[in-house]
Amino acid sequence: ICFALLCHRTKLILILECQATKTCRKYVDLATNTDNANVKVLIDPKQFSRNEANGIIIIDKLQPRDFHILFVPRRSLLCEQRLKEKGVLNSFTNIDEYILDLIPYDGDLLSMESESSFRECYLENDQTSLYHAAKGLMTLQALYGTIPQIFGKGECARHVANMMLRMKREFAGSQTQILPVFDTLLLLDRNVDLLTPLATQLTYEGLIDEIFGITNGYVKLPPEKFAQKKQGEGGKELPTEPKKLQLNSAEELYAEIRDKNFNAVGAALSKKAKIISAAFEERHNAKTVGEIKQFVSQLPHMQAARSSLANHTSIAELIKDITTSEDFFDSLTVEQEFMTGVDTDKVSTYIEDCIAQKDPLIKILRLVCMQSVCNNGLKQKVLDYYKKEILQTYGYKHILTLKNLERVGLLKPQSTMRNNYPTIRKTLKLWMEDANEQNPNDISYVYSGYAPLSVRLTQVLARPGWRSIEEVLKMLPGPHFEERQQVPTGLHKKRQPGENRTILVFFLGGVTYAEIAALRFLSNMEDSGTEYIIAATKLINGTSWIKSLMDSPEENLP
Amino acid sequence: MTWLWHSQKADEYLREIKEQSLLSEAVRQCVEAAGHEHEPETQKTLLRVSHTVYSFSLQAASFGKCFLSNFPPEQFVSMCRDLRVLNAVRDYTVGIPLSLTQFKQMTIQVLIDRLVYRKLYPLAIEVCCYLKTPEYQGVSRVLKHWACYKVQQKEESDEVIAKAVSVKLADAAGISYSEIATKAYESGRTELAIKLLEFEPRSGEQVPLLLKMKKSPLALSKAIESGDTDLVYTVVMYLKNELNRGDFFMMLRNQPVALSLYKQFCKHQEQDTLKDLFNQDDDHEELGNFYVKASYKEQRLEARIAHLQSAVDEYYKAKKEFSAKTTEDEMRLLRFQRKLEEEKGEQLVGFSLHDTMTTLLSVGLHKHVEQLYKDFRVPDKRFWWLRLKALAEKEDWEELEKFSKSKKSPIGYLPFVEVCIKHHNKYEARKYVSKVTLEQKVKAHLAVGDVEGAAEAAIERRNESEIGTVLSRCAATTDHLLVERLNRAKATVAKK
Repeated sequence: ICFALLCHRTKLILILECQATKTCRKYVDLATNTDNANVKVLIDPKQFSRNEANGIIIIDKLQPRDFHILFVPRRSLLCEQRLKEKGVLNSFTNIDEYILDLIPYDGDLLSMESESSFRECYLENDQTSLYHAAKGLMTLQALYGTIPQIFGKGECARHVANMMLRMKREFAGSQTQILPVFDTLLLLDRNVDLLTPLATQLTYEGLIDEIFGITNGYVKLPPEKFAQKKQGEGGKELPTEPKKLQLNSAEELYAEIRDKNFNAVGAALSKKAKIISAAFEERHNAKTVGEIKQFVSQLPHMQAARSSLANHTSIAELIKDITTSEDFFDSLTVEQEFMTGVDTDKVSTYIEDCIAQKDPLIKILRLVCMQSVCNNGLKQKVLDYYKKEILQTYGYKHILTLKNLERVGLLKPQSTMRNNYPTIRKTLKLWMEDANEQNPNDISYVYSGYAPLSVRLTQVLARPGWRSIEEVLKMLPGPHFEERQQVPTGLHKKRQPGENRTILVFFLGGVTYAEIAALRFLSNMEDSGTEYIIAATKLINGTSWIKSLMDSPEENLP
Repeated sequence: MTWLWHSQKADEYLREIKEQSLLSEAVRQCVEAAGHEHEPETQKTLLRVSHTVYSFSLQAASFGKCFLSNFPPEQFVSMCRDLRVLNAVRDYTVGIPLSLTQFKQMTIQVLIDRLVYRKLYPLAIEVCCYLKTPEYQGVSRVLKHWACYKVQQKEESDEVIAKAVSVKLADAAGISYSEIATKAYESGRTELAIKLLEFEPRSGEQVPLLLKMKKSPLALSKAIESGDTDLVYTVVMYLKNELNRGDFFMMLRNQPVALSLYKQFCKHQEQDTLKDLFNQDDDHEELGNFYVKASYKEQRLEARIAHLQSAVDEYYKAKKEFSAKTTEDEMRLLRFQRKLEEEKGEQLVGFSLHDTMTTLLSVGLHKHVEQLYKDFRVPDKRFWWLRLKALAEKEDWEELEKFSKSKKSPIGYLPFVEVCIKHHNKYEARKYVSKVTLEQKVKAHLAVGDVEGAAEAAIERRNESEIGTVLSRCAATTDHLLVERLNRAKATVAKK
């Protein structure tokens, strides 16, 4: 992640967490272009040590300035050690840390924005991000009270829970006397539900992310649709810079439509358009000075609403161009066939054709992985055929990527075990025929039929409880567990009748926007009695997720 | 003192003071006087006086005559507390003759310190408890000092001391066992230090001391237990410098978590060590992957092929047939590409098989393409797609038609139609519509813009959804008749 510059009084704080080389380049730019003697560089220790040589030389050259290091997300002994070895540790006036575990993204959403968390945990056996997750949860508990109940499913979840309980012992004695805000914490491993991120998200926000990619709450869009058409300025050139928009619930209209199935967005937009133009019509009714004054006072709000409506209408048009295309329809059809268990054991003609036409590799990988997951592994012959096709078409270097996918279980040869996916699907009702996209009554609307497994597990936990699905839980990878944390007497929450329970759901390895939408849907359901707050190591979609697992060495041939 | 003898004069005196509005001053002075008095009996008397005056005034107040409006009781209470503490330390067994002023000057913290220095631990704890000093600054601190002293007692055995310490300190919050352990270590009792460290809940504190004591295996497992990977790295780096390579690797081998972290480190810093690690574990697959990765870093083709050959060998050792065969294919392709580059001057090295074939087709080297097709056993379907796209790209429509007739197409003829349309050649596209299978006819007709043909096909197939698709493509005004026909057909189909 790369945050913007934050002006903090007179001191400039540059928060960067990208490759050290890049950090240093920006750092140099900044140090040479501005008169600020106090420039702080925030570096991710891990990235830093990877490219430390570059980093340090540049820093050294700028000796006359005042230097500070702020480690993000946490001070690293390893990095300090290496700085010492290089003999530059003393050239820093200050060495400190900027603890950045969970970043609030929205009223109900926290993310660690740890890009490679899934890869590190499941591929490289490096659980650093889980340690940070546990630390983040401790901070959260220090602020919002001890969470009395912890549920979890998966190896990583177990690890995080263990660390939390351990840290609690470490902090014994310095306990805060705060009434618990959260009743329950649910830790979920991403590898418990590998299927969901592979499917194409069909909510408005999900599709924006799938098609354009949302980074740090912003989306960059092709500018053509946003050209301002002003009167008297015909023939003005189209802007070439991509249009950058911030997306969060502070925007009233966006909060309203973000979690809707895309097919219901059009109706919502046109309803909104009618309301807004009716509001503007009001001015004809304003007769007295008082009425006019009141109308004028509402103008800024109305104008903001109008421009927000214009933006989202444009975005919706852009998305519609894609969702109505034959390619999109065909690939969605195949996805849905896989999810319903149609022909998952044979080579899919559609995938074959896509490879033959050299469609984007990630699209292929998503589909093949999905087929493998829905079939609990592919027959060796089928798997080898796909692999050969991919390697011949996209290059042999992708053999490493394929091996990675196999290691994390996204691709696998069928074992002697029976395919248990149909059982899981039926028990958890993962496929709902006739999902109602306009007025949903079940979470399956977010994928137009498929109910995300992760969210189903969450839903069942709230009611009637996991004991009812013991069999299925055993089929999913990793242990499931329940822990209780002692809450100081007197701080036990006395719930009023009708008051909601609050569950914090933490996705270890990433969460998709559609899953978030599904959880929000559950929160808003009239009789749910549960409110969900979502936390994750990273906001992901199938593409960014698969990309994080890819290993394609750069060709070095002249 | 008159009231002590229950004299009525007492009341008179009081009234006198009251009249001068000096009641509160009198109370204050009494309390203060008690504070400076060393004799407990006198202290008591003075305090009692002040108390009586105070209650007298309260009584008076209850009759509506407020003598003493705002005298705060805190002074009295805290003076009693302070005096208790002072009397305790003035006792001859303790022997700290502190005056109140001195006590106020030096604060409770310092008093506790002094008690600790005199090893008067029980009294210090009593004082802390009595004064309700926060546990962290009070009882826990005293206990820590006690434990630090205890561990230096040479005559007692490690077990006895460790047990005694743990029992005493069990309920105290915020105890730093590592400090106590450090003391033990400094007085030469390493074993005791290790035992004490067991009680330390914060691994961050345990690990550095364990390293100092050269208990590295224990330090490593403690670091891993904590889940703090930075701590693990610290130990690993320390061990790397301390131990010889063999021992270092052996130790990592027993700690998979540390090993995988070290591997990550090596991946970015020390490639050669990584190779050694894989070798030690006989992890032939990883070695294979390692060579594959290395091959891409090479500039020269020979070096690259040599790396790939090593990879192949490793993959065979790991019994990864598929990977080995694939890598062999890769080598074959590279050699082929280079040969052709030399012969024909086409830039090919680094292209995938698919791209190589496409390039060769575009320059008309059909024979070589055929050779690749056979050598690499390219599936027919993909080969047809490849040729179809390449020919369309060249807009060699004649050749395309010949190709379409060469054999029965394994991919059907719809792709022919679609590819032609993609290249804006409706005329050519029409040629293939008739060859398309029945299932795809509607799509083919629609692709070339022949709505009527599509309608015919859909009605013939009695397929409701296809009829629907065609309907959606009909313009209501121009195709009036067609729409009617389709609707009728749809109704019939629906009935059945």
